[in-house]
Amino acid sequence: MSSKRASTAPAAPKPPTSLSPTLTIAEHASLVGSYLITLGANTVVHPRAKLNSTYGPITVGSNCIISERSMIGLQGRGADGEGVVIEDGVIVEVGATVESKVIGEGCVIEVNAKVGRGSLLGTHCKIGPLCEVAEDEVLPDYTVLFANGMRRIDNSGVEDLKLKMVARQIDVLRRLIPSNLTKFQ
Amino acid sequence: MSKKPVKGEYIETDTGNKVSRRSQIIGTTNIILGGKTVIQAEVIIRGDLLRTYPSSSSEGKGNPVAVAIGRYCFFSRGCELRPPGKMYKGYLLFLLPSSSPSYLQHELMVFGSTFSHYPLKIADHVLIGPGTIVEAALIGSHVSIGAGCVIGKFAIIKDYARVLDGTVVPPNMVIPSFSVVGGRPGRVVGEVSEGEVDGFDLREVYRGVGN
Repeated sequence: MSSKRASTAPAAPKPPTSLSPTLTIAEHASLVGSYLITLGANTVVHPRAKLNSTYGPITVGSNCIISERSMIGLQGRGADGEGVVIEDGVIVEVGATVESKVIGEGCVIEVNAKVGRGSLLGTHCKIGPLCEVAEDEVLPDYTVLFANGMRRIDNSGVEDLKLKMVARQIDVLRRLIPSNLTKFQ
Repeated sequence: MSKKPVKGEYIETDTGNKVSRRSQIIGTTNIILGGKTVIQAEVIIRGDLLRTYPSSSSEGKGNPVAVAIGRYCFFSRGCELRPPGKMYKGYLLFLLPSSSPSYLQHELMVFGSTFSHYPLKIADHVLIGPGTIVEAALIGSHVSIGAGCVIGKFAIIKDYARVLDGTVVPPNMVIPSFSVVGGRPGRVVGEVSEGEVDGFDLREVYRGVGN
């Protein structure tokens, strides 16, 4: 079996990956670990983004944006079979840490936010800059976290438009970020 | 080893910029450094996020610019400069009579609009603290931004403003000159007094940085 201490090895192990051919992944993104990393169609991974599957598999849906310095994946040993699932149309901004079990469709994780291990985010949630979601917390759909842990439910009903805007943003990023799919396969 | 002296932490450019070897500068051709600017280790500058929306006038001459930085700026360890991006409102909206239902207006707006990044402009003597992420549109001269801040997209920070540690400046906020901003979300909490203004000269700091 894959060794759990792989991350301390001098050369980071290359994880098994399942990458969509339409994925845009920068050369300086880092995929490490030993479990499977799945990245869906049209997703964009910025340079210096870190996906770490040392402690569990990572699944990212289609039309997602993973920004630089963000850390996706469990950062410490978890229960067996625990992993991180990010659904479609999710934006993970600069420096965010995502360890949650499921991030629902259309969520936005803002700059330097932290989403704790085992948490479940419903669809179209927004975690504001520097906000934190505790471990095992369950957020209903449309929850917005902002300021110092304040929260509200967003009922503006524009989620379809937001998903389209994410798609537009991805169209532009694909032109700007040179992709190097072969390096990670 | 080599005949050259030991390699230092910083590379000094012709115009006197001191750039750490461990900084991560992406899209160098789209970045303008005014000179005498210090870029510490682990700083990320995203010069690759260029404007894709065609500019109405000027441009087209010379290189496109994503990040423009003035003289004597200081970027502390681990901060990040990132040009802001937004949806640009589409022209198709004008085809609709103003009495049409709002969902239709929204629909057309997204249909006729495009996403584009816009240049990030930083003037002279700007200090940015460690771990701060800047997605502002404009930062004036002699601005000091603390550690661990988040400067939201398209924020405009005017001359001599101060941003305290850990502030989250919301997107599109305009910070007036000489104001002190703090909190989450950032609000104006005070004013910079006359006497303090002298402390905003970064020439000494620049001289202190070396190999």
